[in-house]
Amino acid sequence: MHLMSSKPQALTSIGPMRAFAANSKKISTELIEINEVLMGFNQYLTEYYKQLSDTWTVAQKKVNLKAPEVPQDVEQIEAFKRIWIDIFDNDFTELFDSEKFGKNYGKLVSKELELTKHWNNISNVILQSVNLPSKEEIDEIYKEMHSLKKRVVKLELELKKKEMKNNAK
Amino acid sequence: MQSESRVDPKIIEEILKFSKNVIEAPNLVSAPTEISLEVTPHDIAREMDKTRLLHYKPLTDKQHKTPLLITYALINRYHILDIHPEKSWVKNLLQQGFDVYMLDWGTPTSMDKYLDFDDYVNGYLDSYVEYVKNESSVEKISLQGYCTGGTIATAYITLHPENVKNYVATAPVIDGWRDTTVISNLAKHMDVDKMVEVIGNMPPEFMYYCFSVLKPFEQGIEKYIKFFKNIDNKKYVDSFLRVEKWLADTPPIPGALFKQWIKDIYQDNLLIQNKMYIGGKHIDLKKIDMPIFTQVAVGDHLVSPECSMPLHYAVGSEDKTLRMYPTGHVGMIASSLSQKKVLPELGKWLAERS
Repeated sequence: MHLMSSKPQALTSIGPMRAFAANSKKISTELIEINEVLMGFNQYLTEYYKQLSDTWTVAQKKVNLKAPEVPQDVEQIEAFKRIWIDIFDNDFTELFDSEKFGKNYGKLVSKELELTKHWNNISNVILQSVNLPSKEEIDEIYKEMHSLKKRVVKLELELKKKEMKNNAK
Repeated sequence: MQSESRVDPKIIEEILKFSKNVIEAPNLVSAPTEISLEVTPHDIAREMDKTRLLHYKPLTDKQHKTPLLITYALINRYHILDIHPEKSWVKNLLQQGFDVYMLDWGTPTSMDKYLDFDDYVNGYLDSYVEYVKNESSVEKISLQGYCTGGTIATAYITLHPENVKNYVATAPVIDGWRDTTVISNLAKHMDVDKMVEVIGNMPPEFMYYCFSVLKPFEQGIEKYIKFFKNIDNKKYVDSFLRVEKWLADTPPIPGALFKQWIKDIYQDNLLIQNKMYIGGKHIDLKKIDMPIFTQVAVGDHLVSPECSMPLHYAVGSEDKTLRMYPTGHVGMIASSLSQKKVLPELGKWLAERS
């Protein structure tokens, strides 16, 4: 009876479910942290759209001041379009060039990267639960390959130099 | 009392015509897959990893002795320098009797994330320069660097000046702090360590975002209105689609290279201060002593003239020329102005020294 009941446990000890269960705490921690990052992300995203919206409002007011009349013919429409594009391009370029935009956008991207990092961590837990290499392990291989390639090129160069020396003799 | 309509009938006519053009566009224009960006005939002279060296077939009986190797940028692909038979930078130089090679950096994948400046400057570029020297049986070649390719080529000539006879710097990215473009503002506030750690290579999608904030209304609205208005003009449509296809093809940038590029050029501005190191070797712009021809575009919104011009003043060369053109970043290399003014001036300068 004891042997029979212990068999399923022995089976799950090498299967993915046991590893997954063991790592579920890691996944829940990551999910909690994702929520915290999302709050920050939303804050910078709101500021991002606020900056765009404020710039749009100011630019539109400038257009209204410069071209108050409703265009009546094709030439007037063309002139209005030119004014609209010039003012909007100038004002938005000024925004994108500003420190406040650069800083907020930098933080927004940074939060997005943190979200990606947590997602990577969750993926790693799942990969490990099915005995597959994690992102870090694959990165190590890439790094090693890069370093080996460099060494091969160096050795090839030294070999070439030696050959040239021998030929000169 | 009846209200009188004041709408000009021409406006209705224009709207109807525009709508008709939009509807008919799919039947009138080629699909991007039908457009070939390979314009001027060439051979693949050599390949290393994902990079390739293109060698263009000559178009003149006699050629100048010194070959020219063009180092294209890291953003988008080399096709812009040979985008259209009538606007081809490469074809024009071939017609002027130059033996032209082009470096295609290829499309890096995740496994290339550790490729750095050292690999690009002292690895790929150096190997290709040696190859061109051997093939042409010359001691020195002429080198041209465009945009970020100009940064790589500039670093190369400080470390290997013995291989380069003439240097052409076309809108090179040199002085990051003086750069007045939106790109530079975004780069200055980027957490590049985190970006490379988390996603590895710089993804093309991020590049597309950066492009989208450059003159967003002119490029995002007016450009397409003009396209639909000119849908019957085959020449215009062909040129437009070629450039659009080129714009939509940006390879990722290897993480390690991107990280050093953003930090050393835009954030810490080490190159122009002669404080940059590549593969442990010091990059000193004063060591550049060969003839140098710097080309900048006044309306460049990707690499501002203020970012490129300091190279002219920082080098040790006595024979140096600076030219400014009333155009933009792409207009300088692929437009009727480049054919009529930029290339003839460059060709004359280069021919006298080749």
